Amino acid sequence: MTIAQRGRWVSLVALIFLAGVYVRALVFTPEERTQGLAQKIFYVHVPAAWSAMLAMGLVGLASILFLMMKDYRYDRFAAASAEVGTAFSLVMLTTGPIWAKPVWGTWWTWDARLTLTLFLFFLFVGYQLLRGAVNETSLRARYSAVLGICGLVLLPFIHLSVYLFRTLHPMPIVLKPSAPSLPPSMLITLLSSFAVFTLLYIGFVMQVYGAAAARDAAVGGGR
Amino acid sequence: MPQNGGYMVAAYIAAAAILVGYAVVLARRKPGP
Repeated sequence: MTIAQRGRWVSLVALIFLAGVYVRALVFTPEERTQGLAQKIFYVHVPAAWSAMLAMGLVGLASILFLMMKDYRYDRFAAASAEVGTAFSLVMLTTGPIWAKPVWGTWWTWDARLTLTLFLFFLFVGYQLLRGAVNETSLRARYSAVLGICGLVLLPFIHLSVYLFRTLHPMPIVLKPSAPSLPPSMLITLLSSFAVFTLLYIGFVMQVYGAAAARDAAVGGGR
Repeated sequence: MPQNGGYMVAAYIAAAAILVGYAVVLARRKPGP
């Protein structure tokens, strides 16, 4: 079985688990008192943001490894992670405004956290446009590695933006030095969703990476 | 308690549409050159 085929199975299992997370979040997780049902958007928005940031983090790390070792498997992985990260950042940027409208009264505001996550999406898109614009394999890998490292540098600013700047966006609830500030029933739902979104990321990347590896092997050189 | 369940439903549908749609695109993608 090829990597892409295994990735397809992993994605299928992850999508089934995602349905389970939906049922748990919508039916078995209590409603929050002040935000009402809109608060439950958090169980897809936050894990999608996590997966998008994980994707960009791994694009950056793979880019560093490519520049150090000149191994094209890292370049291929970075490209796969960037494509998958675009899908997750799209989920983040779609569900965020749908939550913001009932809770903040506006779909969008140009505060630091929101603007930086929009930059993250543009970086994902720009990364792929750059790869599409450069035909020569080694130049494409080198240019996109530099952009991938820029994306990695952006991540701490996104995570810490709620501390560094005045922003409407809520503070971190789980990824913070102190204990998570959620009741156990909500925390279990959120952590389950984190696990499922991470599995989905792995399955998607396996498929994109596997297809790219097969394509590269078919055109020769395995670069 | 605020009545905003419609937003929740819209967000869950949008997220599922993007993720399932992308999974379908990947499953149909040909590995060849």
